Amino acid sequence: MTRYTSSPMLRAVATGALAALLGGCASFSPDGGLDAVSAMTSARTGQDLQLTQAKHDSGATQAEVARLLGAPLTADGAVRVALLNNRGLRASLAGLGVAEADLVQAGRMRNPGLSFSRMSGGGETEIERGVMFDLVGLLTIPIRRDIEARRFQGAKLAAAMDAVRLAADTRKAWFNAVAAAQSAQYAEQVREAAQASAELARRMARAGNLSALDGAREQVFSAEATAQLARARHQATAAREQLARLMGVWGAQTAFTLLERLPDLPAAPRDGDNVESLAMRQRLDVQLAKLDAQATARALGLSKATGFVNVLDAGYVNTSKTGAPREQGYEIELVLPIFDWGGARVAKAEALYMQSVHRTAHAATSARSQVREAYSAYRTNYDLARHYRDEIVPLQKKISEETLLRYNGMLIGVFELLADARAQITRVTASIEAQRDFWIAETALQAAINGSGGSAAAAASVVSSAAGSVDAAAPEH
Amino acid sequence: MRSRRDFFTGAAALVGAGLVSRAGAATLPEAPIMSSAATQPPPPPPNGRPYNPVVTLNGWSLPWRMNNGVKEFHLIAEPVVREIAPGMKANLWGYNGQSPGPTIEVVEGDRVRIFVTNRLPEHTSIHWHGQRLPNGMDGVTGLTQPGIQPGKTFVYEFVARRPGTFMYHPHADEMVQMAMGMMGFWVTHPRNPAQHRVDRDFVFLLNAYDIDPGSYTPRVNEMLNFNLWTFNSRAFPGIDTMNVRRNDRVRIRVGNLTMTNHPIHVHGHEFEVTGTDGGWTRPESRWPEVTTDVAVGQMRAIEFIADEPGDWAFHCHKSHHTMNAMGHDVPNLIGVDHRGVAEKIARLVPDYMVMGDKGGSMGDMEMPLPDNTLPMMTGQGPFGGVEMGGMFTVLKVRKDQKPGDYSDPGWYRHPPGTLAYEWKGEPPAALRKQDAGGQSMPAANAPEVEVTVRKPTGHQGHH
Repeated sequence: MTRYTSSPMLRAVATGALAALLGGCASFSPDGGLDAVSAMTSARTGQDLQLTQAKHDSGATQAEVARLLGAPLTADGAVRVALLNNRGLRASLAGLGVAEADLVQAGRMRNPGLSFSRMSGGGETEIERGVMFDLVGLLTIPIRRDIEARRFQGAKLAAAMDAVRLAADTRKAWFNAVAAAQSAQYAEQVREAAQASAELARRMARAGNLSALDGAREQVFSAEATAQLARARHQATAAREQLARLMGVWGAQTAFTLLERLPDLPAAPRDGDNVESLAMRQRLDVQLAKLDAQATARALGLSKATGFVNVLDAGYVNTSKTGAPREQGYEIELVLPIFDWGGARVAKAEALYMQSVHRTAHAATSARSQVREAYSAYRTNYDLARHYRDEIVPLQKKISEETLLRYNGMLIGVFELLADARAQITRVTASIEAQRDFWIAETALQAAINGSGGSAAAAASVVSSAAGSVDAAAPEH
Repeated sequence: MRSRRDFFTGAAALVGAGLVSRAGAATLPEAPIMSSAATQPPPPPPNGRPYNPVVTLNGWSLPWRMNNGVKEFHLIAEPVVREIAPGMKANLWGYNGQSPGPTIEVVEGDRVRIFVTNRLPEHTSIHWHGQRLPNGMDGVTGLTQPGIQPGKTFVYEFVARRPGTFMYHPHADEMVQMAMGMMGFWVTHPRNPAQHRVDRDFVFLLNAYDIDPGSYTPRVNEMLNFNLWTFNSRAFPGIDTMNVRRNDRVRIRVGNLTMTNHPIHVHGHEFEVTGTDGGWTRPESRWPEVTTDVAVGQMRAIEFIADEPGDWAFHCHKSHHTMNAMGHDVPNLIGVDHRGVAEKIARLVPDYMVMGDKGGSMGDMEMPLPDNTLPMMTGQGPFGGVEMGGMFTVLKVRKDQKPGDYSDPGWYRHPPGTLAYEWKGEPPAALRKQDAGGQSMPAANAPEVEVTVRKPTGHQGHH
């Protein structure tokens, strides 16, 4: 006689079939979420992410990197190389895969357990088959999928933030590197002027026309100019290496050449009127905070509706320690509402919801302030750079012309002429720095509108720390 | 030039007193204005006692009005634009359109009434340097009179008692007002025109300004580092020449209102100092000279017979007074080898040109200068650059210069055999003395200084 297990088992089988169906829905997307990240990045940086190349180096990627590095590198080219080549960003993008795997996993119920026992004795054999289901898991599938979907969305936002930040940092590094190289070149001219003075002084001393004191003064100036040149050259190297790190280049790739000069100032500065509303629409950290609030709202709704589902920890952002990798996660707990009808849970859920609402408001307020500050920096640097270009440099040019006229009239000597040449070079260098500062401020403004307000701002923002686990992808300045 | 004003045409063409009100015209003589910096030929006196007029180098004499036997002059102290030389103008303060102001010529014994209208932004006064006059007419603000406030007119009246050579200048805020060019010449002719009579009588003041190259207004706080040294506020080559007829008796009267002395030197002739601030020198006290030092605040009248035809230099013998603005701290590059360095400097300063390695002369270089700046040493003569500036002009002695004709006769044409010429033969080897000169006090330890002298070989290209 064979005894079969009872009908609940059959029901469970039916449920299992349903679960399998559900599980089938939660399959991996073909792009692993990269399309969305690429679209967000592209909308904010003008550069998309190369999807296929994100996972492994392809010949095409390397060919493009080589092509970009082969010609004098532009700011956009540098950003492109960084987006293609920066391993930190790749690591961040790999995080997408982790999140998606979690999402898929959440849609699948745990494999049912099968038990089989056969007992014989007394001429009778009893075979017992058992199918075991993770009933709790089954019940929580919709909840888990919902949560994981949001987490996946959050991961996409975080990855896009990383990409946008990397793009911004790379642009800044490019401007720094070009300006530093230009400054080093001018430092060389200063040294040349100083050397000419010193050489002339030496020859004057040899001809008996210059005292040892005056001769030494000219020599020490030249010697100082040499030291200054060494510093300027190191600055240029350091700025270039910073760019190389962000682009993730090494070996022969580091032989890239930069454009010789910074781009000209735009004819007019951009209008600052709509930057705040733009930031509200486009900032990824604000969107992330909103997503977080939505998640807690959902959890609150669940808690209110059932009283025995606790997803209160979902979406909770652990902000405990800076420096240490941040963790976020959730916990679902089904409880039997025997002694506690969930009043406390609902209260806690409400409190957590309010917390995330405040965090979102905080993120938005901070973002607005950051973008205002960034616009002020942008505008000031634009005006300064234009002031240098239109006022200071032409005035210095006029001074140099007039100085030469005075030299022509033997009203001043050659040393004064050379001192003026040095002053002119110094002012030109300051003008280049003003131009560089403008472009960096421009990039920072873009970051404040589009990304997360730049590296420094991100560190100060609580909400954007959702991206904390991949912060290492974007080295801080 | 002040176009709003009419100006002289020819000798002593005068204009009306545009600045004096109709009501004041009844009592004030007209104040003629001069807008040209050219030397005005002397006008004969239209009334009053006769005299032989002087020629104010690059200047003019002030007309007067006779009023009941009193010679009335009207000076207007005012800002003016003076042409220092073609290519350079200066914002100065002066009188009646020019700085220095017009020469006042009177005759010994004349009663003189001078109206002084102040159109300056500050008070002024006029001191009649060297005159014997009532103390209250001496023009020292605070001491003998209150300052003439802007817009006010004061009257000075005295008898020109002593014949001779004088000046006038403010004795109010002197440092500023004289640095700005407020001064003028005064000649009191002897009652007898035959006394001290000469054929040509030139007058000018020595003045100095500090006008920064590229600017137009003198720095009024300068004490000694003036950069423009001028005769009547004109710098060579902007100064007129003194043109005389051969065998003319020539008098040149010089007054010094700078802050240093000026050894005035004439080429080709000896002269005698016939007059000083104190009057005419006695003939037995005179001795012949070719240079006379005119100290600060002094006047000198020198006289000579211009009997040597030619173009004779006439200048202050302080060499930096025959330069225009120059740098005091220009390094000495004489003998300094520029090879290699010049190219390096030219890379930084594209229009750079080596100067001074063979001396200060800029020769024929023509390089752009700051605005309103005269070249340091300039002026072209018949044989090239004269390499002079500032207190330098030329005495031109010609046999056919008509009496009363002060026009420029052009360059002197040297009779054959009277012009320096180049030796074409082989130069003999130089003989050098090897000892160190006088041995009365030989040095115990001669310092071992090795000085290398680089001599031009004649084949060095000009940089």
